[in-house]
Amino acid sequence: MRTALAPYRGPWNSRVAAHLMRRAGFGASPQEINSLLSSTMRESVEALIHFPSTQNLPGPDNVFDPYSQGLLQRGYGQMGMDENARRARAKELRRSAVQSVGAMQNWWLNRMLATPAPLQEKMTVFFHGHFTTAAIQKQNWPIFIYNQNQLYRDHALGNLRDLALAVSKDPAMLIYLDNALNNKAHPNENYARELMELFTLGHGNYSEADIRESARAFTGWTLNRRTGQFVDYAAIHDDELKHFLGQSGNFRGADIVNIIFSQPSCRRWFASRLLNFFVYNDPEPQLVEAVARLLRKNDYNLAPVLSVLFQSNVFYSDRAYRALVKSPVEFVVGSYKLYGVGQIDQLAQRSLASMGQILFYPPNVAGWPGGSAWLTSQMVIARENFAAALVNSQMMSQASWLMSVPTNAQQATRQLIATILAGDASAAATAKIKDYLNGVNTSALGQLSGENYEERVRGAAYLTMAMPAYQLN
Amino acid sequence: MKRSGFLLGAVSGLTVVGSMDNLFAHALAQAPLPGLPGGSDRVLVLVNLQGGNDGLNCVVPHGDDMYYRMRPTLGIPKGDVLGINGQIGFNPQMKSFKALYDKGIVAVVQGVGYPDPDHSHFRSTEIWQTAAPGRYERTGWLGRYLDEAGLPKTNLFNGVAISQVLPEAMIARNTDVPAIPQINGYGLVGDRNKNVSSGYASILTDKRLPFSSPYLSHVMEIEDHAQKGSQELPKLIAGYKSSGSYPATPIGRSLALAAQIIGSKIGTRVLYVQHGSFDTHVNQKGTQDRLLGELSNAIAAFYDDLSAHGNDRSVLTMTFSEFGRRVGENASRGTDHGEASPLFLVGGGVKGGIYGNSPDLNKLNMGNLAFNTDFRSVYATVLEKWLGRPSQPILAGSFATLNAIA
Repeated sequence: MRTALAPYRGPWNSRVAAHLMRRAGFGASPQEINSLLSSTMRESVEALIHFPSTQNLPGPDNVFDPYSQGLLQRGYGQMGMDENARRARAKELRRSAVQSVGAMQNWWLNRMLATPAPLQEKMTVFFHGHFTTAAIQKQNWPIFIYNQNQLYRDHALGNLRDLALAVSKDPAMLIYLDNALNNKAHPNENYARELMELFTLGHGNYSEADIRESARAFTGWTLNRRTGQFVDYAAIHDDELKHFLGQSGNFRGADIVNIIFSQPSCRRWFASRLLNFFVYNDPEPQLVEAVARLLRKNDYNLAPVLSVLFQSNVFYSDRAYRALVKSPVEFVVGSYKLYGVGQIDQLAQRSLASMGQILFYPPNVAGWPGGSAWLTSQMVIARENFAAALVNSQMMSQASWLMSVPTNAQQATRQLIATILAGDASAAATAKIKDYLNGVNTSALGQLSGENYEERVRGAAYLTMAMPAYQLN
Repeated sequence: MKRSGFLLGAVSGLTVVGSMDNLFAHALAQAPLPGLPGGSDRVLVLVNLQGGNDGLNCVVPHGDDMYYRMRPTLGIPKGDVLGINGQIGFNPQMKSFKALYDKGIVAVVQGVGYPDPDHSHFRSTEIWQTAAPGRYERTGWLGRYLDEAGLPKTNLFNGVAISQVLPEAMIARNTDVPAIPQINGYGLVGDRNKNVSSGYASILTDKRLPFSSPYLSHVMEIEDHAQKGSQELPKLIAGYKSSGSYPATPIGRSLALAAQIIGSKIGTRVLYVQHGSFDTHVNQKGTQDRLLGELSNAIAAFYDDLSAHGNDRSVLTMTFSEFGRRVGENASRGTDHGEASPLFLVGGGVKGGIYGNSPDLNKLNMGNLAFNTDFRSVYATVLEKWLGRPSQPILAGSFATLNAIA
């Protein structure tokens, strides 16, 4: 454990580089892996961390914003509008919103695929599952959800304390966890509770009294009902003494965030979340402690912490290798990347829904549980159906490496296993792929040849993607 | 989570499609287990009211003035309540459920909870699902039942969760429970892909791999089960004709599938369905009324369907929610996380009536209702009196049973 975070000095080859790109990004095409091998591990990690500006990448088209379109001021609940008209209007707003979120999902998946800064997108996915917020419910309009997504992207490798403060004032969060309604006459504890339980400290590191007191401190942080912007509304703020985590004062929201981030359990909470997301599940307490110290030393700045982590022995250890279950997003985006397909299409969104991960609609405030929760029979079947649909689609004409594997079945098998699984298949399974390519046990078709080549290669790619290693990250 | 490789052991090297059929023929030929005190064809359906159902506006204490004082806007007017007696009655949306109560097949268990209640959705849900307040337990209470009930190990459908995610209650050591949100779309698409995978299923069983992963056994087992199960389940239940007029709601569809699985007699003993979210911090009335109406109509249709097939006496349905809600309403016409709340047992084997004590609104615990029936007593009742298993090993303790099951 003492050397867990020391720099890794082992081999740097395509299998190790693929591991880095699966974890710190969304996988890599064979060409991308090759180009990584012309630099060192350290250079590859630094390039992920100090990524080029992505300010000029396009945003989604026409994010639905009922405020700027004036839809909420005019007519929505307006006097004189009868009940049927009001309902029809509400339904119309909702329909536009749902459509807009669908377009945003497609935009984000394509951004994950194409971005020159994969770690920035990976951290955005991390924060989406951490400071969770769901669209549509409670009238959480697409514009709020998009702005929150952009907030996570802007803070992707920034300071966690700054982000937690910004999240506490973020309209999507104010709506999702009801702080918009939190006022001194009737405090609403929903945000205060989840902020500590799920976002920063973890269950058991605060009391019910701490929840009540901090909820009072957050009173008044709400939305301007006309503009949809954050506002600090003094008239409903509880401007009295509070007692929170052993300290007393007339605290406001920002004080609560600062006190939380001074707790050792806060460092441990983020250390554990990062290790579970990037390295392996159920990390040893000593490892959590080591990363917590790193967070403290760097005052919660993520860039230097992740730089150490992605260059560490533990990150490249056998214990970490293939030790995580691929999330559906990793599975889907990684597959498009693997085959060099330039554009993510509707297949991805349909498949992600049946695999259990719909972006912007996490199941609840705890985000997606991950690990073996991704592996129910329904979800596993959905993964296989996606793999089959992808390899049998027109898009595979872009998969130049796949469409040019050797016609010798043994060599073709070796290339499929190397490229799709980084070599992580058993000898028996490898032999099965070769048999499949050669048509063993099937009727009549015989050896791999020009005539059956394309169909066999696609089938073999599908079988390879159904192998256990491909489900693991 | 360690899951056993029993099936892999039993069918390892499965390369011939035919052996799969044998496996299922074998599972189906299993006679009902003889000699179980609870009877061999009994089924438990667990309905999770996810998010924390407000018990006071579900089973309404309309005879208590304190209720109306603490619920100035959310209190349900006495005249609207579907009265059970002079003190309590059902939410006005629960008419079809009230009809089941009047038939004598609904037990209302009042004031259910556990000591030192936790107000977190996640922790309290975990406590109910694992039946382990005060410690962290990785298996669920029904998972432990499935492991030790002596059910045929070759049957992939001893327990079925009708949900996207496998609920913690069904996590077992030695039994893999399929989680199936709906039967449409459950299965490999396209004959060619089916042939490709089934012919080469053994790629999933060779564990000599150039890496080790804590998830490897689980991945292999679930892929194997998923492929076989998804091919078989639709066939096994295809012959069932539903007789209920189910509402077109998620809970309606889930219970329709549950009735189909039960009626197809494939050896399923426990099913799990989800309903919600009941997390009504804001504008509670519209949401909770809708959800309770949907629940009530779906359960009524479920029992119509079960009765038409002669299965109503062999199916016990139990609702549960991670907690009730705060007695006093909040400023947003909603309620915050609370403690004790009622649950329901429904079925032909139930002795209808009210069990436990109605919560005392004058003796609140920091604004919350105190529990008087430990939820593990309800579990013990279900395990011993319905499923015919000793509850002590499953619940790690002895809990008094209720008289609610005939």
